Amino acid sequence: MSWFQDFPQMDEDALRGLKQVIDEAFRTFTRSYGEGIEGFFAPLQKFLLLSERFMTQTPWPIIVLIILGIAWAASRSIKVVLGALVALLAIGYFGMWDDSMRTISMIFVCTVMSIVIGLPIGIMMAGSERMQRVVNPVLDVMQTMPSFVYLIPVVMLLGIGRVPGLIAVVIYAIPPMIRMTNLGIRLVDRDVLEAADAFGSSRWQKLRNVQLPLALPTIMAGINQTIMMALAMVVIASMIGVQGLGQPVLKAIANQYFTLGIFNGLAIVGIAIIFDRVSQAYGQRLQKHLEVVHG
Amino acid sequence: MNTGKTICPPFGVKGFNIKRVFTAAPLMFGLAYFAPVAQAADCGAVTIASMNWASAELLAEVDKFVLQNGYGCDASIVLGDTVPTLTSMAEKGKPDVAPESWTSLRPPITVQNIQEGKLMIASKAFADGGVQGIYVPKFIVEQNPEIKTIADAIKHPELFPDPEEPSKGAWSAGQQGWGGTIIASQYYKAFKAKDAGFNLVDTGSAAGHDGSLIHAYERKKGWIGYYWGPTSLLGKYEMVRLPAGVPYDEAEWNRCNKVEKCPDPKPNEWPSDEVNTIVTKSFADRAGPAYKYLATRSWPNAVVSRMLAWMADNQATGEDGAKQFLKKHPEVWSSWVDPAVAEKINAAL
Repeated sequence: MSWFQDFPQMDEDALRGLKQVIDEAFRTFTRSYGEGIEGFFAPLQKFLLLSERFMTQTPWPIIVLIILGIAWAASRSIKVVLGALVALLAIGYFGMWDDSMRTISMIFVCTVMSIVIGLPIGIMMAGSERMQRVVNPVLDVMQTMPSFVYLIPVVMLLGIGRVPGLIAVVIYAIPPMIRMTNLGIRLVDRDVLEAADAFGSSRWQKLRNVQLPLALPTIMAGINQTIMMALAMVVIASMIGVQGLGQPVLKAIANQYFTLGIFNGLAIVGIAIIFDRVSQAYGQRLQKHLEVVHG
Repeated sequence: MNTGKTICPPFGVKGFNIKRVFTAAPLMFGLAYFAPVAQAADCGAVTIASMNWASAELLAEVDKFVLQNGYGCDASIVLGDTVPTLTSMAEKGKPDVAPESWTSLRPPITVQNIQEGKLMIASKAFADGGVQGIYVPKFIVEQNPEIKTIADAIKHPELFPDPEEPSKGAWSAGQQGWGGTIIASQYYKAFKAKDAGFNLVDTGSAAGHDGSLIHAYERKKGWIGYYWGPTSLLGKYEMVRLPAGVPYDEAEWNRCNKVEKCPDPKPNEWPSDEVNTIVTKSFADRAGPAYKYLATRSWPNAVVSRMLAWMADNQATGEDGAKQFLKKHPEVWSSWVDPAVAEKINAAL
């Protein structure tokens, strides 16, 4: 009855052998393809560096004006703009400006990447049941797999720094983008689509002029979630050498510097609130506009 | 603190955290319970402390096997961390043996206990001590024989390219919170690495630090930064420790080299840490030949690193590692024991 008491597990030597074979295969893979994969990501690295250089080397008043301008254009709300101003000034005053700019730059690039990759996948998912059946479980894995499990292979492949950090963040942050795009398009009223068909629009015209505009508020909610999740990964990303607000947080954890940790943690929160309010307000404005049209 | 790797790092005094204090209490109770165990043949019951990192685990398992099979002791292993173990040894007389104790991780009370004679330093556990310093891959030194010291390496940022900014070199100091990272960052200042074209890289975590080294090594690219041994990584990847090129100056070291914010560090040799086997007075008095074994045995660092690498490659436990070591390296351990004892050990394998 021993199989009843103890789980009949795989033979230990075989299990060890299996792990070794997989480890070895991965190492061979890194050796032979690492260089090529690194080359593939080189443009991304340039983009990251460029964006970071822009954020850290532009004089601060200009950056503040740009951020406030975006906030105003998106939300048309004085309250949001004032809130953003206060948060930015506080971050700068407490000496976290450079780190915050690095973090914002990283989040910006991650969000752009998530949209560029996530939107087409979401559209394809909305168009095909089979695609949805395949992609959904993959998204589940991406959201629940502990990040260090895939961080270490990524580091072995690409080294430490911004690109592996970006990959880790995008893996974690992209699922809401894909899911919400899929959902938004699926929620578009069938009657509207029928009308579009009746006017003889092609598939592309239907997607561009009917489905995407109507799904936009839902997609905006997806982008909002993506930004929030990307910010949540800032600290994890700095464990593989990404510069920004995560590094002082790690330092605070390692040395029990209470205040340093709180300050930088609050800076992350401040950035998150700015991004969240602005993108939410934009989403709401889109919705209002649509309601008027429908009315 | 240790990310499951083979780290026994003298990561500074900050390592004495609450966790260690809390683990002390149950350990002491557990051990008080242990004391009146029946005496076995020659040397009686021996408890050996195994620490929560790979090299200490390996040493403890080898000692257990040798004492049990070679000297007829009733040897058992208890798990613990440096501070609670050493405190318990001084106060309760148990465990009897702490195979691997780093000087820089030793609390003042233990130093005092050693002076009082409650605890005894039996031997140097690692022949070369615990070594920390600035390491580069061996192939770099072979291809560039002019690189002999840290100052020589600083002249060649192009050999250690920063993946983020290939026109510059990368000086990998380690993660925040390690004592070694502070010293490596002070070296960066002391050797004027910035002016030479190096970036100071914060590798973020133990995994990130190892990852950056492995990544560079597998591509046959240079890497320069803080590392320590004996570790499995040094067993797997051949690295060379670069000397500072100047003698060790203790006063200067304490004044500036290990002080984080000190603005003007000077080049200074990184001292190695003595790693000892510590036993209780009562064990030394009663154990006779078993104590003599602990007093003679001293591991060559390279062998420890190689065994740790084997353990990591095979995802093996300390016990597997001990058996593998005793089987494969009789040339190392046969000098630690009498031929008669060696025969007994061989018979038990």
